[in-house]
Amino acid sequence: MKRFDNKQTGLLSSSDLKAFKGKLIYWLFFAILLITCFIAVFPAIWTILTAFKDTREIYDTFSFFPKDMSLGNIGRRLSEAWNELQLANSFLNTIVMSLGSLVSTIIVCGFGGYVLSKLRPRGSKLIFPLVVWTMMMPAQMRIVPNYITMLHFPFAYDFGAGMSLLDTYWPMWLSAAANAFNIILFKNAFDGLSQSYVEAAQLDGCGNFGIFFRIMFPLAKPVIIYVAIGTLSAAWSEFFEPMLYLDKNVVTPLKVYRMQLDNKIQMNIKFMGLVLASIPQFLIFIIFQRHILGGINIGGVKG
Amino acid sequence: MKFSQVDKNNLGKKMKKRSRLKNDFDAWILFLPAFIVLYLMIWRPTVMGAVWSFFKMNAYTPGDFCGFDNFRKVITHTQFLPTLWNTVKYVLWSLVLGYLPPVIIAVIVNEMVHFKNFFRITIYLPAVIPAIASMLIWYYIYYPDQSGLLNMLLAKFGMEPFQWLNNPSFTIPGIMIYSTWQGFAGTMLLYYASVQSVSVELYEAALMDGAGVWKRAWHVTRPQIEGILILNLVRQIIGVFQIMEQPLAMTGGGPNGASISLGYQLYQYGFNSGGKGTGQAMALSVIMFLILIVFTCFYFWLNKKVEDRY
Repeated sequence: MKRFDNKQTGLLSSSDLKAFKGKLIYWLFFAILLITCFIAVFPAIWTILTAFKDTREIYDTFSFFPKDMSLGNIGRRLSEAWNELQLANSFLNTIVMSLGSLVSTIIVCGFGGYVLSKLRPRGSKLIFPLVVWTMMMPAQMRIVPNYITMLHFPFAYDFGAGMSLLDTYWPMWLSAAANAFNIILFKNAFDGLSQSYVEAAQLDGCGNFGIFFRIMFPLAKPVIIYVAIGTLSAAWSEFFEPMLYLDKNVVTPLKVYRMQLDNKIQMNIKFMGLVLASIPQFLIFIIFQRHILGGINIGGVKG
Repeated sequence: MKFSQVDKNNLGKKMKKRSRLKNDFDAWILFLPAFIVLYLMIWRPTVMGAVWSFFKMNAYTPGDFCGFDNFRKVITHTQFLPTLWNTVKYVLWSLVLGYLPPVIIAVIVNEMVHFKNFFRITIYLPAVIPAIASMLIWYYIYYPDQSGLLNMLLAKFGMEPFQWLNNPSFTIPGIMIYSTWQGFAGTMLLYYASVQSVSVELYEAALMDGAGVWKRAWHVTRPQIEGILILNLVRQIIGVFQIMEQPLAMTGGGPNGASISLGYQLYQYGFNSGGKGTGQAMALSVIMFLILIVFTCFYFWLNKKVEDRY
């Protein structure tokens, strides 16, 4: 086989692959991967198929495939679940929330990372270790105090002042932004950009803000995309914080979580809800696939 | 070369003198959002949580100082030791089920000459499903009656339905099987990057010396990825020790508290105790912090060693 001849030497080399033993190991590896793929995909396929079954069909017959797979049936089931779960509303809410999280993350982590990397004002030497340590503090420590803060924002506890941020998106926006790991990602990315860009721009009479917005920020595009994907995906999958803070403005993950507890909703609609709720994140993956699968290098060991 | 260096230095000095203050001012303005958010959302709550664990809390308002009262209540609670043991079980199961497979798959994918990208993309799929949706998918896979996937399969082979998550001895491994499935791809990508960076020359040299496939895996691949392997081990222990959302969404702590973790217990104290347990929630978080700080320090020490090596 031609592909075997051109293989880069790794665990297996092209000379190994000429022998029977080498081929055996290679196809064994191949089989392991096929099984892994099957395990990875099977639950999702089962969910999609179940979503197109009748409730009676789910409980009574244990067939894997739905009986009626006509296009009309598929369309009917999709619109039925979409309307009954009022997903249009929650999708809109989630879009607003996720875009807000994105903006606040860029402002906080992007600006913060740049200052720690390139500007390094007096005092920032003290801040950086603090940020690193922040990353390793267990998030559980902050759940209750943060909730208390949100009841009387921005004060730590109730002395008659402050406002409640319950039922707004602010708690999610703020906690998405308070991500020390993203600050460090940005810092590492700006560290990788040469200081001579800054010096050249300074000679041309560009101010600090001009350098940042016109030169450095566009250069950091890969890490911005990487952080943006992470932030948007998190907004579409995180249910815990919305559960604490939101009641009326329901976002999709929260809707999915509450849907499970609601006995009035039929089984097939619940399954269809799971499928529909997965679509936005799936689209993000399809569009940015190259960045997601390649971008992990940015994260590296340096953390 | 030398002249331009001097020139540059002179210029740098002048500019420094002129704009040092303005520079610092601009920098702090840019850093202000980060500072405010970190202060409000991370630094202050961490400190206040530790302080308030020594206070009697009336729902969400701090009351009088009460010494170690909250800690005493948490530790003497009959469920505390079982919960701690459950949490350790979560960690152990996650290591047994989920620690080695991502490395192995990363190494194998790197060896492929057929469908390499297909494999990478397909294996990544579980990470694309929103966490809450995939938790519920697995909740239905484990469903105790015959509408659940696993029991449906058992029925096909003519076997009795199994209780899965409702079985106290399966519930923690069951949740960890889900978590492994879900987190697998992310970890694999991390390893994949470092497996890819092992240089071809090393393999070729080993090949010249007549090292077989397994010898090459042990003597060439392993030493190169050892650092990130150990780092991820510690990271996984720290992460799983705080597990909370999975039992919350999949089992509700049941059956009979068999899947309650420390994190889940903290949530119960904080938000499901009618405001009586708020102080205990923070005391428990301090206890968890004290346990985790050991691992965290170890992690930083290790991280430094690993970075020095490369």
